[in-house]
Amino acid sequence: MTENKTAHNKLSVKEKRTLRMKTLTKEERNYIRRRELCDKLWVIFRAVILCGLGFIIFYPLIYMISCTFRERADMSDPTVVWVPRRPTLSVLKETIEAMDFWNTLKNTVLLNVGCSLVQVLSCAVTGYGFARFSFKGKKLLFGIVILMILVPTQIISVPLYFQFRFFLGTDVNLIDTMWTMYLPAMTANGIRSGLMILIFRQFFRGLPRELEDAAYIDGCGPFMTFVRVMIPNAMSSFLTVFLFSIVWYWNDYYISSMYFNETKTIATTLCNIDNELKLRLFGDGNAKMNRREQTAWRQAGCLVSIAPLLIMYTFLQKYFTEGIERSGLVT
Amino acid sequence: MSRKKVSSGAAKRPRLSYERRKALYGYGFISLWLLGTIWFFLIPLGKSLIYSFNSVGIESGHMTMKWSGLDNYSAALNKDQYYVDHLEKTLLETLWRTPLILIFSLFIAVVLNQKFRGRTLARAVFFLPVIIATGPVFRVINDDMDATGTSSGQPQFSTLLHTDLVDELMHFLGVYDMSGRMTGFITAVADSVFGIVWSSGIQILLFLAALQNIPPSAREAAQIEGATSWEYFWKIVFPYVSPFVLANLIFTVIDSFTDPMNEVMRRILVFQTVDINYGLASAMAWLYFGIILAAIAVVTFIVNKFVYYEVD
Repeated sequence: MTENKTAHNKLSVKEKRTLRMKTLTKEERNYIRRRELCDKLWVIFRAVILCGLGFIIFYPLIYMISCTFRERADMSDPTVVWVPRRPTLSVLKETIEAMDFWNTLKNTVLLNVGCSLVQVLSCAVTGYGFARFSFKGKKLLFGIVILMILVPTQIISVPLYFQFRFFLGTDVNLIDTMWTMYLPAMTANGIRSGLMILIFRQFFRGLPRELEDAAYIDGCGPFMTFVRVMIPNAMSSFLTVFLFSIVWYWNDYYISSMYFNETKTIATTLCNIDNELKLRLFGDGNAKMNRREQTAWRQAGCLVSIAPLLIMYTFLQKYFTEGIERSGLVT
Repeated sequence: MSRKKVSSGAAKRPRLSYERRKALYGYGFISLWLLGTIWFFLIPLGKSLIYSFNSVGIESGHMTMKWSGLDNYSAALNKDQYYVDHLEKTLLETLWRTPLILIFSLFIAVVLNQKFRGRTLARAVFFLPVIIATGPVFRVINDDMDATGTSSGQPQFSTLLHTDLVDELMHFLGVYDMSGRMTGFITAVADSVFGIVWSSGIQILLFLAALQNIPPSAREAAQIEGATSWEYFWKIVFPYVSPFVLANLIFTVIDSFTDPMNEVMRRILVFQTVDINYGLASAMAWLYFGIILAAIAVVTFIVNKFVYYEVD
């Protein structure tokens, strides 16, 4: 039955087409044919381009996976290109051990999620202040926000280090504590907070003013208005910025390697993975390793350190990609 | 908008005008940030500027400073054997990479904005670099690909992409002599395809968002008037996204300049952590920052002349 139906449909479409073509002049027919040809070529071209570039993006990931599950000896075997000869978990296990993965992961998550959460809140409050209130010096202050985006962290990192080392001019040493990350995050000065303030400002400017006016008339103070009216409206934007913030904190190794010696995060461990491997697997900082075998461990390290992000991305992909559109950065 | 409203509590308090009160609330909202910024941004910024004019030493855990004028700056420019080279290299690289990244990401955004099967998947794949490229994983990927020879990825990959292909194409076209420079150029481009694809995640995202803001009626009108896709792109799409070209441009420039992986930054890091010389490190960083600022100012000025703003 269904076959019949589709056949009929196909036929009728073709018939319609020929009928329509007959009514047209020769030039018009040529034009339509040319366009159809172009469209088809474009579809093929697009598929080729997307697949090719997709391959470029996936290439390192495939390589990581391939390296992780092979035996170390396979690294030096030229006949093994992609598929491991005897898939094992030994490299993966060694890497997890060398990175002290579970502890590090716990540390990182604690730091990451906490800082991101606090920073999103503080940046939202600041962004709201810049979006809805007019006060003296607003332009100048907003200029500072822009400056925060422009100034490379490397410029301020040394003085900042000393500020944490001798906190408030006293002998209190905050280096190697999580305060070094939490304090800036709390006061909207953490990683890429300038950008986040800008995003929130744009977002809140895009919301209708009537929302707040209604709340004011009902006798709600500005802060409660923000909490009760604006935050619920900005939920999806919050989530997007929060996710990006997690990614940025997760990937940061410059700032955390500056402040942390003992406290390890995934990113700093990965940067030091060669030393960690030597210390933990061979018990000797000067051990010589075969470069190729080392690559296997390194790639495994990469894989385990982005695995949590990849999992998060797979499930929350929608918020990453659609969030920016709704976040109001584009208005 | 500035109608006067009397909220219930205001009658008893000393009277402030509505504007004054709103301004105070504004300060209230940004006060947390302001405090943090003074402490974690402005003071360190000022200090590092001061460092750059001093010769800074560490004695028994405390810092000693001696005024040395512009010595650090001239040392960075004249004495350090790497700094100027790295600076030139980074600037040049940014100069040719930025336009390529922008063109590429606009193209991909236009493609990803079309309707086809598997579009969600394609988008997910192209945004994947966003979550990886800022981190150490990308550094390891790149290092492995640059340094370790046959066992690593990039050599295989770029061999596959260019060496033979370009030569053979040239031979096929009957060009034997001129291929030297040409091949060099094409090889360089092919090598950087990887870098470009991997650093345009956010840019694609922004362009895509901009593209979705184009009203569908514009497309309909263009179709009725018989515009080809090519004309549609240049006459309608491009003007609409042009403000985002500027935003993306600035983002790309900042991203590539402030990347801890770039060579100037690595050089600065050496003086911050290995050969401890904070004065010199600060001078280098400030010099570099000055160049970034100048570059961004020039670019903004030029691009702003060509940008089309719908609402003004």
